Amino acid sequence: MSKPSDLVQGTLDMLLLKILALQPMNGFAISQRLKQVSGDVLQVSDGSLYPALHKLEQEGWITAEWKTSEYGRRAKYYSLTRMGRRHLEKETNNWGRLSSAISRVIELEKV
Amino acid sequence: MRPLRWLSTIPLRLGSLFRSSQADRELDDELRDHLALKAADYVANGVPPAEARRRARLDLQGVEQTKEQCRDARRVNWIEDFVHDLRFAARTLRKSPGFTTVAVLTLALGIGATTAIFTLIDAVMLKSLPVANPEQLYRLGDNNNCCVMSGTQNGGSFVLYSYPLYEHLRDHTPEFSELAAFSSYVSNLSIRRAGSAAESFKGEYVSGNYFAMFGLRAFAGRLLFPSDNLAGASCVAVLSYHTWQERFEHGPAIVGSTLDVNGFSCTIVGVAPEAFYGDTLRSDPPDFWLPIAVEVDNRLQNANLEWLYLFGRLKPGSSPERLQPQLTSELLAWLGSHMEVVPQRDWKDVPRQHIRLTHGGRGVEQMQRDYAAGLRLLITLAALLLLIACANIANLLLTRGSAMSCETAVRLALGAPRGRLIRQMLTESLLVATAGGAAGLYVAYAGTRAILLIAFRGANFVPIEARPSLLVLGSAGLLSVLTGIAFGIAPAWMASQSDPMDALRGTARSTPRRFSVLQRYLVIAQVGFSVVLLAGAGLVMQSLRNLEGQNFGFVSERRLIANIDLSLGGYTPDGLTGLFQRFQEKLPQIPGVVSASLSSYSPLSGNNWNQRVYIDGKPPDYHWTAPSCDRVSPHYFETIGTRLLQGRTIDERDTLGAPDVAVINETFARRFFANENPIGRRFGMDKNHPGEYEIVGIVEDAKYQDTRGPAYATFFLPLLQTPRAGRVNGWFNTVELHVAGIPENFESSVRNTVTGLDPNLVVVNVVTFGEQVARNFNQERLIARLTELFGALALVLACIGLYAVTAYRVAQRTGEIGIRMALGAGRASVLGLVSRDVLVQVGLGLAIGMPVALAAGRLLAHQLYGVKSSDPWILGAAALVLASFASLAASIPAWRAVRVDPMVALRHE
Repeated sequence: MSKPSDLVQGTLDMLLLKILALQPMNGFAISQRLKQVSGDVLQVSDGSLYPALHKLEQEGWITAEWKTSEYGRRAKYYSLTRMGRRHLEKETNNWGRLSSAISRVIELEKV
Repeated sequence: MRPLRWLSTIPLRLGSLFRSSQADRELDDELRDHLALKAADYVANGVPPAEARRRARLDLQGVEQTKEQCRDARRVNWIEDFVHDLRFAARTLRKSPGFTTVAVLTLALGIGATTAIFTLIDAVMLKSLPVANPEQLYRLGDNNNCCVMSGTQNGGSFVLYSYPLYEHLRDHTPEFSELAAFSSYVSNLSIRRAGSAAESFKGEYVSGNYFAMFGLRAFAGRLLFPSDNLAGASCVAVLSYHTWQERFEHGPAIVGSTLDVNGFSCTIVGVAPEAFYGDTLRSDPPDFWLPIAVEVDNRLQNANLEWLYLFGRLKPGSSPERLQPQLTSELLAWLGSHMEVVPQRDWKDVPRQHIRLTHGGRGVEQMQRDYAAGLRLLITLAALLLLIACANIANLLLTRGSAMSCETAVRLALGAPRGRLIRQMLTESLLVATAGGAAGLYVAYAGTRAILLIAFRGANFVPIEARPSLLVLGSAGLLSVLTGIAFGIAPAWMASQSDPMDALRGTARSTPRRFSVLQRYLVIAQVGFSVVLLAGAGLVMQSLRNLEGQNFGFVSERRLIANIDLSLGGYTPDGLTGLFQRFQEKLPQIPGVVSASLSSYSPLSGNNWNQRVYIDGKPPDYHWTAPSCDRVSPHYFETIGTRLLQGRTIDERDTLGAPDVAVINETFARRFFANENPIGRRFGMDKNHPGEYEIVGIVEDAKYQDTRGPAYATFFLPLLQTPRAGRVNGWFNTVELHVAGIPENFESSVRNTVTGLDPNLVVVNVVTFGEQVARNFNQERLIARLTELFGALALVLACIGLYAVTAYRVAQRTGEIGIRMALGAGRASVLGLVSRDVLVQVGLGLAIGMPVALAAGRLLAHQLYGVKSSDPWILGAAALVLASFASLAASIPAWRAVRVDPMVALRHE
């Protein structure tokens, strides 16, 4: 099982921000969406998800709001803040540079 | 943008701190919601509901752990932890009230003592005058010689100036924006308000620009102007705020009202600012400031009388270094053109005369000089006491830490991080320190008030605040926090180092060695410090006892002194004779009065008049300081209890028309008539008339001024045989009474008798002779009382320390003692086991402390009177007292050890 610590440092934050950039959602929906879009490759355990969300909230990148969910119960919905959006842009750029650099290294090895 | 972002998250963090219980509830809700959704998801995939709920929980890897991680993620933990730690510390401290009380009290005493002394140092030594820009003020002179001189000055450094010389310097020194003059002493004023008897007040004569030089503005009315100080100007006076409040009931009508001052009508033109106490920090500062022109005998023109201190405000940009030689040349120029003011024998000294410019921001530094050494000693003692208190706190914390090492081990075993444990224990000691500091401030406030009372015994008003200033408060706060950290960190670190396995396995039997070793060092240090303080206390106490119990050459018991002010003119030498005879008649008629006399001044009243004399038949002798001189009535010597050795005393024969006579003391006789009989010899005050007075008697030496040195050579003249051209003012100021009974009870009858003789006479004060003598030792007494107090506290603290350590050791070794006793050890050997420890600690402490006490005593030596700083009896007594009290403190737990029941002890674990 892939543990979150195996993810590159800060990657989980970026993924969560990216998912929330599309639409506000609650924790459970975030975990489902993460699994769904990554084709089950990126499995973030529920135990790591919530601390990560709380950390992002504390940083001021996402904000939470209590809403009544589709099941009729009160649920905490997270959404991206303006600061979070800026941070996401920066992280995305960094990630682009990092991944292309890694890809180049990997291809070098193949030769 | 980084710092901004950090700033913007602060509200979020604080929000989650203050909403922590709500945040916890929300976290519960959120996770419960998640579990329900997750379980529903599993159920939808065909998992049975119970299993679905279980899996949902499993996925969360422990609900509580996740919650904790979420809380961690909020990253406000250091604040939250601190609040938790505080609550926890408060709870644990409440649970052990004994420890808390002792620790807080110990610190309160240590910090209180230090703060009280520091408050005094701040108020006396550091504070500037409450005037505008005190740093611009400079004084012309570098010593506090008082009060009236003529010609050249001691050592050549000019400090007392005549008014004409002041005018010369003022008009020739443009570097000063203002140069002001004021009398070097405070004068008694006799003041009559309309329709009431005369009252005594203090006054100071100042130049017209005095208040302008200080940059002050009146609280009410106006202050003095230069025009008030012109010859012939009508009399005006400025009242001090304190006096206005205390003695004029802060009536608003005071400004513009007229009072009778020394027989002249004076208008009160204003009230000085509230904080202003004059140019000198002293007890009983002036009530009134009057222009110099008001002073009788035309002082504005008198160049012979040097009696003024000079202060100037330097213009910005002027350099005091450049100004100093300029002032000296101005002085020499003036002296050169006024050589008639210098006696011919001093002409050779004129070129050496100079002016030293010194900082004047603190005014005339009289009290500063008087108390510097005493305060230095006291702050050292207080710091020593604080050190002992700190050692005690550290000791208590160590004892507590080791007693709690089991609990600490359990916490470590349960996964508490060591850093967190240290932090928590530090919080505890900080809390104790803060509480101790707060209590210490109260101790300091009360202590400072008590100190002021002792230091200024006999004063009506001391312009020193007992309230600690902000500087002092800040220092005390910092001090308590530092003590908290310094003495909490070692025990905290040690406790956190305990190995959970060791502690859990061995429980109470394993004594962490490092605790007890450090504790022992602390106790040894405490014993050492305490013996130093005790020895110091003993020396100072003995010194004061010697001072107070010495043979003064007079008897102060059953004597009453009344100081009277005759300055309300109207008495010619002839008229004075009448008044004087009425006094002599009426005073002995007061029931209970054994004998009564009058004099210019009485012994140890702070007065001393010097007069150069020329012995008939001998060459002038300038080698000695001029002998002291007093004027006394018949029965003076028997009233104050000074014995006649030879010849006769001054009696009723010695009136204005009779031959002039004098009585001398032993030192006078020895100095001027070694190996000769002085009776019948003559001396005079004028070189050309050396035969003026015939010596008719010799009395024993008595101390009038200096209590530590030998008596001054003194001669006594009959009160009525005053120099023909002398002023009435000051002829006699003092009434002495020898009474049968308690002298205090005679105060009102003396006052009534005096006012009955003449309602214009002012009784300045009435005081017992014993009290008058005692006030000479205010500073010594203050130091002695404080040193005794500090010594006693140190002793108590050392005993507490020793008790704590011994009790703890006994508790730790209860099992061992039980085994020993079960194996046949007698009580004596158990007692020996425990007391050997105590004896070694006390012995080592004494071995370290005694040499330190000896060295410290040497620093003290110049303040001691009649006792050597290495006095073996006092040092021995200090050691003995400490050893016996320490043994007493340790014997309580030692007895507990002896009474251990082996069975109980063995079962104890």
